[in-house]
Amino acid sequence: MPSRLSPHNFQDLFDSVEAFLFDCDGVIWKGDKLIDGVSQTLDMLRSAGKKLVFVTNNSLKSRKQYAKKFQSLGISVSEEEIFSSSFSAAMYLKTNDFPSEKKIYVIGGEGILEELQLAGFTGLGGPEDGNKTVQLSQNRFFDHDKSVGAVVVGIDPYINYYKLQYGTLCIRENPGCLFIATNRDAIGHMTALQEWPGAGCMVAAICGSTQKEPIVVGKPSTFMMDFLLQKFNISPSKMCMVGDRLDTDILFGQNAGCKTLLVLSGVTSEPELKDPSNNIQPDYYTGQLSDMLKFLESLN
Amino acid sequence: MEAFTTRASAQPLRNADELIDSVETFIFDCDGVIWKGDKLIDGVPETLDMLRSKGKRLVFVTNNSTKSRKQYGKKFETLGLNVSEEEIFASSFAAAAYLKSIDFPKDKKVYVIGEDGILKELELAGYQYLGGPEDGAKKIELKPGYLMEHDKDVGAVVVGFDRYFNYYKIQYGTLCIRENPGCLFIATNRDAVTHLTDAQEWAGGGSMVGAIGGSTQREPLVVGKPSTFMMDYLAKKFGIEKSQICMVGDRLDTDILFGQNGGCKTLLVLSGVTSLAMLQNPNNTTQPDFYTNQISDFLSLKAAPV
Repeated sequence: MPSRLSPHNFQDLFDSVEAFLFDCDGVIWKGDKLIDGVSQTLDMLRSAGKKLVFVTNNSLKSRKQYAKKFQSLGISVSEEEIFSSSFSAAMYLKTNDFPSEKKIYVIGGEGILEELQLAGFTGLGGPEDGNKTVQLSQNRFFDHDKSVGAVVVGIDPYINYYKLQYGTLCIRENPGCLFIATNRDAIGHMTALQEWPGAGCMVAAICGSTQKEPIVVGKPSTFMMDFLLQKFNISPSKMCMVGDRLDTDILFGQNAGCKTLLVLSGVTSEPELKDPSNNIQPDYYTGQLSDMLKFLESLN
Repeated sequence: MEAFTTRASAQPLRNADELIDSVETFIFDCDGVIWKGDKLIDGVPETLDMLRSKGKRLVFVTNNSTKSRKQYGKKFETLGLNVSEEEIFASSFAAAAYLKSIDFPKDKKVYVIGEDGILKELELAGYQYLGGPEDGAKKIELKPGYLMEHDKDVGAVVVGFDRYFNYYKIQYGTLCIRENPGCLFIATNRDAVTHLTDAQEWAGGGSMVGAIGGSTQREPLVVGKPSTFMMDYLAKKFGIEKSQICMVGDRLDTDILFGQNGGCKTLLVLSGVTSLAMLQNPNNTTQPDFYTNQISDFLSLKAAPV
């Protein structure tokens, strides 16, 4: 059963954790607005010598673009501390020795194309294919690049039939073509006022036409975590994953053996957490990130 | 609902007359059986005429939801085939028929992620619809402060093959399913690929349905093959015993499974998407009763002389 975070149990958590991993949407910001008290809380954690890592399933931006977003919100975060699923997709291909002469078809945002390019790969598709239409006269043949060796699918507000067909043909007809999903979240965060279809939608569309299951590189898959652990060399038991979603953030932390803290400032409410049908139990839960600052201040 | 039965391997059709005499109704899939793209498969008109002359009832069941039955009737006509609208059951018709069968209230609306065929059938059945191809032109401005509104009277979202698929429709359908109490999620079919042109495969309805399944985390109610809805509807409408039906199709996971789920005899034709190698592949678990090259084999295959 999860414990509500309090000044009392927070001290234990604070002392035993060397690195805090944060989800972004619903934890740090909501749309383009910073959640209150976040900036001061992160400063406090840094000054206490804690390592901060930001792990987001949102593949629309690259790590560089995310660093800019943090900056525009007044928070100083380096690219190296950010692990977006766009970056994960590129790292997956790199660590699995994807041949650089093969191409990658992208059903997703600019962030994925940028990360692929930074990793030395050639990406096709992306947002500009959102303007392409399909001709259906009897003699028109839909062509696709036979050198595509992987299709990466992430959240895509410019999804259309052209992209579905292109990705489908690559996966069905190019021998050994990989089907990679940045993540499978049903819900994406496009505006602050309501929920929008997430990558889970586009990924399921390609599953539907190819009858194949994807390799998932984002939360809750452990790929990002294994990559992180290797890079920072900290034991999972000394890490705490802070997120607003049970089936991605909390599960991600649990799968790796980290401590887990659910914040209620995003998509999950207390009733949903406590509902009998929910079987993902974080170690702790609290209203929002800045509660950490409040508790620490009350202890001192 | 499906009983696990070990079926014997499919037999090549040797005695066509025996099969024809053993059933009263033939249900034909269209793509890959009657036509390929816009071209009639050879021998089809003579075969259908022969079956009719023997007093057999003919029914055409297609998962393709882009046209209404009336529009299909015209396609048959252009190809020189004598088939009436009442003999055609497209998944577009199935969606409307399903809503009718559950007394879907006329004051509720239907949001359509699909093409013209579905809209026409809904209209014929007296339902109000929103969406369809014209929503393919709708753009969203994903700016702060933007809120997409949706009609609270939508009581069902029907999803089928949609070449005008976009984020607007996905969000609209998702909002209806997630927020309108009791809103139904109906799929015309879940075919992974379809043969829009005879030259290659095209991502099918299974893609659009998958997308909405992914964003709502709900399973749809499928009205097209291999779901038996259309079979049950037909059997009731024409008063036929299912054991008196032979389902003829080119796809194992839709046509043949449809026939088996319905308790009919099944005949696979190799004139469409399935090859003999695919049928005989050890990974294939769907075995029709018979297989043959194409339906005109009914004319050429005779009982071997004793």
